[in-house]
Amino acid sequence: MIIVTKSDVTDAEIDHIRERIESLGMRTHLSRGERRTIIGCIGDESVLDEVPLRSLPGVESVTPVLKPYKLASREFAADRTIVRVGGRDARAEFGGGPISVIAGPCSVEGREMLLSAARDVRKAGASMLRGGAFKPRTSPYAFQGLGEQALRLLVDVRAATGLPVVTEVMDTRQVDLVAEHADMLQVGARNMQNFSLLAELGRVRRPVLLKRGLSATVKELLMAAEYIMANGNHDVVLCERGIRTFETATRNTLDVAAIPVLKRESHLPVIVDPSHAGGDAGLVAPLAFAAIAAGADGLIVEVHPDPERALSDGDQSLDPTAFASMMQSLAAFAAAAGRSIAVPADARAVA
Amino acid sequence: MSSGEASGAGERERESATAELARCREEIEHIDNEIVSLLARRLTLGKRTGELKRVAGLPILDPTREAAVIRRVTGVARDAELPTEPIREIFWQIVGMSRRVQEQTPESLA
Repeated sequence: MIIVTKSDVTDAEIDHIRERIESLGMRTHLSRGERRTIIGCIGDESVLDEVPLRSLPGVESVTPVLKPYKLASREFAADRTIVRVGGRDARAEFGGGPISVIAGPCSVEGREMLLSAARDVRKAGASMLRGGAFKPRTSPYAFQGLGEQALRLLVDVRAATGLPVVTEVMDTRQVDLVAEHADMLQVGARNMQNFSLLAELGRVRRPVLLKRGLSATVKELLMAAEYIMANGNHDVVLCERGIRTFETATRNTLDVAAIPVLKRESHLPVIVDPSHAGGDAGLVAPLAFAAIAAGADGLIVEVHPDPERALSDGDQSLDPTAFASMMQSLAAFAAAAGRSIAVPADARAVA
Repeated sequence: MSSGEASGAGERERESATAELARCREEIEHIDNEIVSLLARRLTLGKRTGELKRVAGLPILDPTREAAVIRRVTGVARDAELPTEPIREIFWQIVGMSRRVQEQTPESLA
Protein backbone atom coordinates (compact mmCIF):
# COMPACT_ATOMS: atom_id res chain seq x y z
CA MET A 1 0.00 0.00 0.00
CA ILE A 2 1.28 3.48 -0.78
CA ILE A 3 -0.01 6.75 0.55
CA VAL A 4 0.57 9.88 -1.50
CA THR A 5 0.44 12.96 0.69
CA LYS A 6 -0.94 16.38 -0.16
CA SER A 7 1.62 18.89 -1.43
CA ASP A 8 1.24 21.05 1.69
CA VAL A 9 1.52 18.15 4.17
CA THR A 10 3.29 19.02 7.44
CA ASP A 11 5.90 16.97 9.31
CA ALA A 12 3.42 16.48 12.16
CA GLU A 13 0.81 15.09 9.73
CA ILE A 14 3.37 12.70 8.25
CA ASP A 15 4.37 11.58 11.76
CA HIS A 16 0.72 10.98 12.59
CA ILE A 17 0.04 8.94 9.45
CA ARG A 18 3.11 6.81 10.08
CA GLU A 19 2.21 6.27 13.73
CA ARG A 20 -1.28 5.09 12.78
CA ILE A 21 0.15 2.55 10.33
CA GLU A 22 3.00 1.42 12.57
CA SER A 23 0.66 0.96 15.53
CA LEU A 24 -0.88 -1.90 13.52
CA GLY A 25 2.46 -3.70 13.39
CA MET A 26 3.40 -2.51 9.90
CA ARG A 27 6.48 -0.53 8.96
CA THR A 28 6.65 2.58 6.81
CA HIS A 29 9.12 3.97 4.32
CA LEU A 30 9.21 7.64 3.46
CA SER A 31 10.17 8.90 0.01
CA ARG A 32 10.31 12.64 -0.47
CA GLY A 33 10.35 13.80 -4.07
CA GLU A 34 10.49 17.23 -5.57
CA ARG A 35 6.74 17.42 -6.04
CA ARG A 36 5.28 14.77 -3.79
CA THR A 37 5.95 12.66 -0.74
CA ILE A 38 5.08 8.99 -0.57
CA ILE A 39 4.64 6.82 2.51
CA GLY A 40 5.09 3.16 1.65
CA CYS A 41 3.52 0.59 3.98
CA ILE A 42 5.32 -2.73 4.45
CA GLY A 43 3.81 -5.76 6.15
CA ASP A 44 0.46 -7.53 6.30
CA GLU A 45 -1.82 -5.07 4.50
CA SER A 46 -5.07 -6.67 5.62
CA VAL A 47 -4.74 -4.83 8.97
CA LEU A 48 -5.10 -1.53 7.13
CA ASP A 49 -8.72 -2.30 6.19
CA GLU A 50 -9.90 -0.97 9.54
CA VAL A 51 -8.11 2.38 9.23
CA PRO A 52 -9.84 5.18 7.30
CA LEU A 53 -6.51 6.16 5.69
CA ARG A 54 -8.06 8.54 3.17
CA SER A 55 -9.55 10.65 5.94
CA LEU A 56 -6.25 11.20 7.80
CA PRO A 57 -5.04 14.80 7.56
CA GLY A 58 -2.46 15.29 4.80
CA VAL A 59 -3.45 12.20 2.75
CA GLU A 60 -4.07 12.79 -0.94
CA SER A 61 -4.56 9.21 -2.16
CA VAL A 62 -4.12 5.59 -1.13
CA THR A 63 -3.16 2.90 -3.65
CA PRO A 64 -2.51 -0.80 -3.14
CA VAL A 65 0.78 -2.17 -4.56
CA LEU A 66 -0.14 -5.45 -6.18
CA LYS A 67 3.43 -6.47 -7.06
CA PRO A 68 5.29 -8.84 -4.72
CA TYR A 69 8.17 -6.34 -4.57
CA LYS A 70 7.32 -3.19 -2.64
CA LEU A 71 10.43 -1.15 -1.80
CA ALA A 72 11.84 -1.82 -5.28
CA SER A 73 8.62 -0.93 -7.09
CA ARG A 74 8.23 2.27 -9.07
CA GLU A 75 5.17 3.27 -7.01
CA PHE A 76 7.07 3.26 -3.74
CA ALA A 77 9.39 6.15 -4.61
CA ALA A 78 8.43 9.72 -5.35
CA ASP A 79 11.26 10.09 -7.88
CA ARG A 80 13.77 7.81 -9.59
CA THR A 81 16.55 6.76 -7.26
CA ILE A 82 20.02 8.16 -7.80
CA VAL A 83 22.66 5.84 -6.34
CA ARG A 84 25.78 7.71 -5.30
CA VAL A 85 29.01 5.73 -5.11
CA GLY A 86 32.26 6.64 -3.38
CA GLY A 87 33.25 9.68 -1.41
CA ARG A 88 34.61 13.12 -2.05
CA ASP A 89 37.92 11.92 -3.50
CA ALA A 90 36.42 9.38 -5.92
CA ARG A 91 32.76 9.36 -6.82
CA ALA A 92 30.23 8.26 -9.43
CA GLU A 93 26.45 8.30 -9.73
CA PHE A 94 23.83 6.09 -11.34
CA GLY A 95 20.28 6.95 -12.27
CA GLY A 96 20.63 10.70 -12.61
CA GLY A 97 20.90 12.42 -15.97
CA PRO A 98 24.32 11.35 -17.25
CA ILE A 99 25.26 7.76 -18.13
CA SER A 100 28.08 6.33 -16.00
CA VAL A 101 30.44 3.77 -17.46
CA ILE A 102 32.28 1.26 -15.29
CA ALA A 103 35.27 -0.36 -16.98
CA GLY A 104 38.29 -2.46 -16.12
CA PRO A 105 39.67 -5.97 -16.18
CA CYS A 106 37.64 -9.08 -15.44
CA SER A 107 40.05 -9.90 -12.62
CA VAL A 108 42.84 -8.03 -10.89
CA GLU A 109 46.03 -9.76 -12.05
CA GLY A 110 48.62 -7.39 -10.60
CA ARG A 111 49.37 -3.77 -9.78
CA GLU A 112 50.84 -2.74 -13.13
CA MET A 113 48.05 -4.14 -15.27
CA LEU A 114 45.35 -2.71 -12.99
CA LEU A 115 46.88 0.76 -12.93
CA SER A 116 47.43 0.74 -16.67
CA ALA A 117 43.83 -0.41 -17.29
CA ALA A 118 42.48 2.22 -14.87
CA ARG A 119 44.40 5.05 -16.51
CA ASP A 120 43.31 3.95 -19.96
CA VAL A 121 39.61 3.65 -19.13
CA ARG A 122 39.63 6.92 -17.22
CA LYS A 123 41.19 8.72 -20.17
CA ALA A 124 38.50 7.26 -22.42
CA GLY A 125 35.74 8.59 -20.12
CA ALA A 126 34.89 5.79 -17.68
CA SER A 127 33.81 7.11 -14.29
CA MET A 128 34.38 3.94 -12.29
CA LEU A 129 36.79 0.98 -12.18
CA ARG A 130 35.85 -2.68 -12.03
CA GLY A 131 38.18 -5.54 -11.13
CA GLY A 132 37.49 -8.97 -9.71
CA ALA A 133 39.25 -10.04 -6.52
CA PHE A 134 37.21 -13.18 -5.84
CA LYS A 135 36.20 -14.89 -9.06
CA PRO A 136 33.32 -17.36 -9.31
CA ARG A 137 34.56 -19.63 -12.08
CA THR A 138 32.67 -22.46 -13.69
CA SER A 139 35.70 -24.70 -13.22
CA PRO A 140 37.38 -25.13 -9.82
CA TYR A 141 40.70 -25.45 -11.69
CA ALA A 142 40.45 -22.01 -13.34
CA PHE A 143 42.12 -18.86 -11.91
CA GLN A 144 40.13 -17.93 -8.78
CA GLY A 145 41.36 -14.35 -8.30
CA LEU A 146 43.97 -12.77 -6.03
CA GLY A 147 41.54 -12.24 -3.15
CA GLU A 148 42.56 -9.86 -0.39
CA GLN A 149 45.71 -8.80 -2.24
CA ALA A 150 43.54 -7.68 -5.16
CA LEU A 151 41.37 -5.62 -2.79
CA ARG A 152 44.46 -3.74 -1.59
CA LEU A 153 45.52 -3.11 -5.18
CA LEU A 154 42.07 -1.73 -5.96
CA VAL A 155 42.42 0.73 -3.07
CA ASP A 156 45.87 1.83 -4.35
CA VAL A 157 44.65 2.34 -7.88
CA ARG A 158 41.57 4.18 -6.66
CA ALA A 159 43.87 6.64 -4.87
CA ALA A 160 46.08 7.01 -7.93
CA THR A 161 43.27 7.61 -10.42
CA GLY A 162 40.31 8.99 -8.45
CA LEU A 163 38.07 6.25 -9.83
CA PRO A 164 35.75 4.56 -7.30
CA VAL A 165 35.91 0.77 -7.49
CA VAL A 166 33.39 -2.06 -7.68
CA THR A 167 34.25 -5.68 -7.03
CA GLU A 168 32.30 -8.87 -6.53
CA VAL A 169 31.52 -10.37 -3.15
CA MET A 170 30.81 -14.09 -3.35
CA ASP A 171 30.15 -15.08 0.21
CA THR A 172 28.60 -13.68 3.38
CA ARG A 173 31.98 -14.12 5.11
CA GLN A 174 33.61 -11.69 2.67
CA VAL A 175 31.07 -8.86 2.97
CA ASP A 176 32.82 -6.82 5.69
CA LEU A 177 36.26 -7.30 4.15
CA VAL A 178 35.13 -6.22 0.68
CA ALA A 179 33.09 -3.32 2.09
CA GLU A 180 36.23 -2.02 3.81
CA HIS A 181 38.01 -1.77 0.47
CA ALA A 182 35.48 -1.21 -2.32
CA ASP A 183 33.07 1.65 -2.98
CA MET A 184 30.40 -0.65 -4.41
CA LEU A 185 29.77 -4.36 -3.89
CA GLN A 186 28.75 -6.55 -6.79
CA VAL A 187 26.51 -9.59 -6.55
CA GLY A 188 27.32 -11.85 -9.48
CA ALA A 189 24.73 -13.51 -11.67
CA ARG A 190 25.32 -16.89 -10.01
CA ASN A 191 24.64 -15.41 -6.59
CA MET A 192 21.53 -13.40 -7.44
CA GLN A 193 19.34 -15.68 -5.35
CA ASN A 194 21.83 -16.30 -2.56
CA PHE A 195 19.40 -14.90 -0.02
CA SER A 196 21.72 -14.98 2.96
CA LEU A 197 24.28 -12.95 0.97
CA LEU A 198 21.55 -10.48 -0.10
CA ALA A 199 20.38 -10.08 3.49
CA GLU A 200 23.95 -9.47 4.66
CA LEU A 201 24.40 -6.80 1.97
CA GLY A 202 21.27 -5.14 3.30
CA ARG A 203 23.14 -4.45 6.51
CA VAL A 204 26.18 -2.70 5.01
CA ARG A 205 26.29 0.94 4.00
CA ARG A 206 27.71 0.42 0.53
CA PRO A 207 25.80 0.55 -2.75
CA VAL A 208 25.19 -2.86 -4.34
CA LEU A 209 25.45 -3.74 -8.02
CA LEU A 210 23.02 -6.62 -8.46
CA LYS A 211 23.46 -8.69 -11.61
CA ARG A 212 20.57 -10.61 -13.08
CA GLY A 213 20.88 -14.39 -12.81
CA LEU A 214 21.44 -16.39 -15.99
CA SER A 215 17.96 -17.83 -15.83
CA ALA A 216 16.22 -15.28 -13.64
CA THR A 217 13.08 -13.44 -14.63
CA VAL A 218 12.70 -9.69 -14.24
CA LYS A 219 10.41 -10.37 -11.28
CA GLU A 220 13.02 -12.57 -9.61
CA LEU A 221 15.67 -9.87 -10.11
CA LEU A 222 13.40 -7.30 -8.47
CA MET A 223 12.64 -9.69 -5.61
CA ALA A 224 16.41 -10.09 -5.09
CA ALA A 225 16.71 -6.29 -4.91
CA GLU A 226 13.79 -6.27 -2.48
CA TYR A 227 15.76 -8.62 -0.18
CA ILE A 228 18.66 -6.15 0.04
CA MET A 229 16.31 -3.20 0.53
CA ALA A 230 14.11 -4.92 3.11
CA ASN A 231 17.26 -5.46 5.17
CA GLY A 232 18.00 -1.75 5.19
CA ASN A 233 20.18 -0.93 2.16
CA HIS A 234 18.28 1.06 -0.45
CA ASP A 235 21.25 1.79 -2.73
CA VAL A 236 20.82 -0.93 -5.33
CA VAL A 237 21.76 -0.73 -9.02
CA LEU A 238 20.26 -3.43 -11.25
CA CYS A 239 22.34 -4.97 -14.03
CA GLU A 240 21.11 -6.83 -17.12
CA ARG A 241 23.92 -9.11 -18.31
CA GLY A 242 22.29 -11.50 -20.75
CA ILE A 243 20.15 -14.54 -20.11
CA ARG A 244 20.38 -18.15 -21.21
CA THR A 245 18.35 -18.95 -24.32
CA PHE A 246 18.39 -21.60 -27.09
CA GLU A 247 20.72 -19.37 -29.11
CA THR A 248 24.32 -20.61 -29.24
CA ALA A 249 25.84 -17.99 -31.55
CA THR A 250 26.28 -15.72 -28.55
CA ARG A 251 27.19 -16.77 -25.01
CA ASN A 252 24.02 -15.26 -23.58
CA THR A 253 21.19 -13.26 -25.09
CA LEU A 254 21.11 -9.62 -24.02
CA ASP A 255 17.52 -8.99 -22.92
CA VAL A 256 17.22 -5.45 -24.26
CA ALA A 257 13.51 -5.34 -23.44
CA ALA A 258 14.34 -5.91 -19.77
CA ILE A 259 15.84 -2.40 -19.62
CA PRO A 260 12.61 -0.42 -20.26
CA VAL A 261 10.59 -3.03 -18.35
CA LEU A 262 12.80 -2.69 -15.26
CA LYS A 263 12.60 1.08 -15.51
CA ARG A 264 8.83 0.89 -15.74
CA GLU A 265 8.56 -1.49 -12.78
CA SER A 266 11.20 0.04 -10.52
CA HIS A 267 12.72 3.36 -9.47
CA LEU A 268 16.19 1.77 -9.23
CA PRO A 269 18.91 2.56 -11.79
CA VAL A 270 19.50 -0.05 -14.50
CA ILE A 271 22.87 -0.69 -16.13
CA VAL A 272 23.99 -3.25 -18.73
CA ASP A 273 27.00 -5.56 -19.02
CA PRO A 274 27.56 -6.01 -22.78
CA SER A 275 30.78 -8.00 -22.19
CA HIS A 276 29.20 -11.00 -20.47
CA ALA A 277 26.03 -10.80 -22.55
CA GLY A 278 27.79 -11.48 -25.84
CA GLY A 279 30.91 -13.21 -24.56
CA ASP A 280 32.76 -11.77 -27.56
CA ALA A 281 34.75 -8.53 -27.80
CA GLY A 282 33.24 -7.83 -31.24
CA LEU A 283 29.73 -7.70 -29.77
CA VAL A 284 30.50 -5.33 -26.89
CA ALA A 285 30.11 -2.03 -28.74
CA PRO A 286 26.86 -2.84 -30.62
CA LEU A 287 25.27 -4.25 -27.45
CA ALA A 288 26.40 -1.18 -25.49
CA PHE A 289 24.80 1.08 -28.11
CA ALA A 290 21.56 -0.92 -27.94
CA ALA A 291 21.56 -0.67 -24.14
CA ILE A 292 21.91 3.09 -24.15
CA ALA A 293 19.27 3.43 -26.86
CA ALA A 294 16.91 1.35 -24.70
CA GLY A 295 17.35 3.68 -21.72
CA ALA A 296 20.11 2.12 -19.60
CA ASP A 297 21.62 4.39 -16.92
CA GLY A 298 25.10 2.99 -17.32
CA LEU A 299 27.36 0.21 -18.57
CA ILE A 300 29.90 -2.17 -17.07
CA VAL A 301 32.53 -3.18 -19.61
CA GLU A 302 35.55 -5.46 -19.42
CA VAL A 303 38.76 -3.81 -20.61
CA HIS A 304 42.17 -5.46 -20.40
CA PRO A 305 45.49 -3.83 -21.36
CA ASP A 306 46.38 -7.00 -23.25
CA PRO A 307 43.31 -9.26 -23.72
CA GLU A 308 45.39 -12.02 -25.33
CA ARG A 309 47.20 -12.53 -22.03
CA ALA A 310 44.21 -12.09 -19.72
CA LEU A 311 43.91 -14.77 -17.02
CA SER A 312 40.12 -14.80 -17.41
CA ASP A 313 37.51 -13.78 -19.97
CA GLY A 314 40.07 -12.51 -22.51
CA ASP A 315 37.72 -13.26 -25.42
CA GLN A 316 35.16 -10.72 -24.32
CA SER A 317 37.57 -8.03 -23.10
CA LEU A 318 38.17 -4.91 -25.16
CA ASP A 319 41.68 -3.53 -25.48
CA PRO A 320 42.05 0.13 -24.45
CA THR A 321 41.95 1.38 -28.05
CA ALA A 322 38.72 -0.46 -28.83
CA PHE A 323 37.21 0.82 -25.58
CA ALA A 324 38.16 4.43 -26.36
CA SER A 325 36.64 4.13 -29.80
CA MET A 326 33.44 2.63 -28.38
CA MET A 327 33.21 5.49 -25.87
CA GLN A 328 33.52 8.02 -28.67
CA SER A 329 30.67 6.49 -30.64
CA LEU A 330 28.60 6.06 -27.47
CA ALA A 331 28.21 9.82 -27.02
CA ALA A 332 25.99 10.05 -30.11
CA PHE A 333 23.71 7.24 -28.88
CA ALA A 334 23.48 8.91 -25.48
CA ALA A 335 22.58 12.22 -27.10
CA ALA A 336 19.90 10.52 -29.22
CA ALA A 337 18.42 9.10 -25.99
CA GLY A 338 18.45 12.59 -24.47
CA ARG A 339 21.37 11.77 -22.18
CA SER A 340 25.08 12.46 -21.92
CA ILE A 341 28.07 10.44 -20.73
CA ALA A 342 29.15 11.22 -17.15
CA VAL A 343 32.54 12.87 -16.76
CA PRO A 344 34.88 11.27 -14.18
CA ALA A 345 34.49 13.11 -10.85
CA ASP A 346 37.82 14.92 -10.54
CA ALA A 347 37.96 15.82 -14.25
CA ARG A 348 34.76 17.71 -13.48
CA ALA A 349 36.44 19.48 -10.56
CA VAL A 350 39.37 20.57 -12.76
CA ALA A 351 37.10 21.87 -15.51
CA MET B 1 58.26 33.50 2.11
CA SER B 2 60.66 30.79 0.94
CA SER B 3 59.34 27.38 -0.02
CA GLY B 4 61.18 25.93 3.02
CA GLU B 5 59.19 28.16 5.41
CA ALA B 6 55.94 27.37 3.60
CA SER B 7 56.48 23.64 3.86
CA GLY B 8 57.45 24.07 7.55
CA ALA B 9 54.12 25.82 8.20
CA GLY B 10 52.29 23.07 6.30
CA GLU B 11 54.06 20.46 8.40
CA ARG B 12 52.99 22.15 11.67
CA GLU B 13 49.40 22.39 10.43
CA ARG B 14 49.39 18.66 9.62
CA GLU B 15 50.81 17.78 13.04
CA SER B 16 48.21 19.83 14.87
CA ALA B 17 45.42 18.32 12.74
CA THR B 18 46.71 14.80 13.50
CA ALA B 19 46.75 15.57 17.21
CA GLU B 20 43.21 16.95 17.16
CA LEU B 21 42.04 13.96 15.13
CA ALA B 22 43.36 11.66 17.87
CA ARG B 23 41.53 13.70 20.54
CA CYS B 24 38.27 13.59 18.54
CA ARG B 25 38.57 9.83 18.16
CA GLU B 26 39.15 9.42 21.86
CA GLU B 27 36.02 11.43 22.62
CA ILE B 28 34.04 9.41 20.09
CA GLU B 29 35.12 6.20 21.85
CA HIS B 30 34.02 7.69 25.13
CA ILE B 31 30.60 8.58 23.68
CA ASP B 32 30.27 5.07 22.19
CA ASN B 33 30.88 3.60 25.65
CA GLU B 34 28.17 5.84 27.05
CA ILE B 35 25.74 4.80 24.30
CA VAL B 36 26.35 1.13 25.11
CA SER B 37 25.80 1.64 28.84
CA LEU B 38 22.64 3.66 28.17
CA LEU B 39 21.39 0.80 25.97
CA ALA B 40 22.14 -1.63 28.80
CA ARG B 41 20.07 0.53 31.18
CA ARG B 42 17.25 0.72 28.66
CA LEU B 43 17.25 -3.06 28.25
CA THR B 44 17.14 -3.58 32.02
CA LEU B 45 14.05 -1.38 32.15
CA GLY B 46 12.65 -3.27 29.17
CA LYS B 47 13.09 -6.54 31.05
CA ARG B 48 11.26 -5.05 34.04
CA THR B 49 8.36 -3.79 31.88
CA GLY B 50 8.13 -7.29 30.44
CA GLU B 51 7.71 -8.73 33.95
CA LEU B 52 5.16 -6.04 34.86
CA LYS B 53 3.17 -6.67 31.66
CA ARG B 54 3.07 -10.36 32.53
CA VAL B 55 1.78 -9.61 36.07
CA ALA B 56 -0.78 -7.13 34.70
CA GLY B 57 -1.91 -9.71 32.11
CA LEU B 58 -0.97 -7.46 29.17
CA PRO B 59 0.47 -8.75 25.89
CA ILE B 60 4.24 -8.32 25.42
CA LEU B 61 3.95 -7.10 21.84
CA ASP B 62 2.39 -3.66 21.89
CA PRO B 63 2.66 -2.11 18.41
CA THR B 64 0.73 0.99 19.47
CA ARG B 65 3.28 1.75 22.17
CA GLU B 66 6.20 0.99 19.80
CA ALA B 67 4.76 3.34 17.16
CA ALA B 68 4.32 6.06 19.80
CA VAL B 69 7.95 5.62 20.95
CA ILE B 70 9.17 5.99 17.36
CA ARG B 71 6.98 9.02 16.72
CA ARG B 72 8.22 10.69 19.89
CA VAL B 73 11.93 10.22 19.12
CA THR B 74 11.31 11.37 15.53
CA GLY B 75 10.08 14.66 17.00
CA VAL B 76 13.04 14.90 19.38
CA ALA B 77 15.45 14.26 16.51
CA ARG B 78 13.74 16.87 14.35
CA ASP B 79 13.94 19.45 17.14
CA ALA B 80 17.65 18.66 17.49
CA GLU B 81 17.98 19.16 13.70
CA LEU B 82 19.17 15.59 13.17
CA PRO B 83 18.15 13.57 10.09
CA THR B 84 14.97 11.79 11.20
CA GLU B 85 15.01 8.68 8.98
CA PRO B 86 18.32 7.23 10.29
CA ILE B 87 17.22 7.99 13.88
CA ARG B 88 13.96 6.12 13.23
CA GLU B 89 15.95 3.15 11.89
CA ILE B 90 18.19 3.11 14.96
CA PHE B 91 15.20 3.25 17.30
CA TRP B 92 13.36 0.48 15.47
CA GLN B 93 16.44 -1.65 16.20
CA ILE B 94 16.40 -0.60 19.87
CA VAL B 95 12.65 -1.20 20.21
CA GLY B 96 13.07 -4.64 18.57
CA MET B 97 15.94 -5.51 20.91
CA SER B 98 13.85 -4.47 23.92
CA ARG B 99 10.91 -6.54 22.71
CA ARG B 100 13.10 -9.64 22.37
CA VAL B 101 14.30 -9.17 25.95
CA GLN B 102 10.71 -8.83 27.16
CA GLU B 103 9.66 -11.96 25.29
CA GLN B 104 12.12 -14.06 27.30
CA THR B 105 10.41 -15.61 30.29
CA PRO B 106 11.90 -15.07 33.78
CA GLU B 107 13.03 -18.74 33.74
CA SER B 108 14.89 -18.36 30.46
CA LEU B 109 16.59 -15.21 31.77
CA ALA B 110 17.82 -16.96 34.88
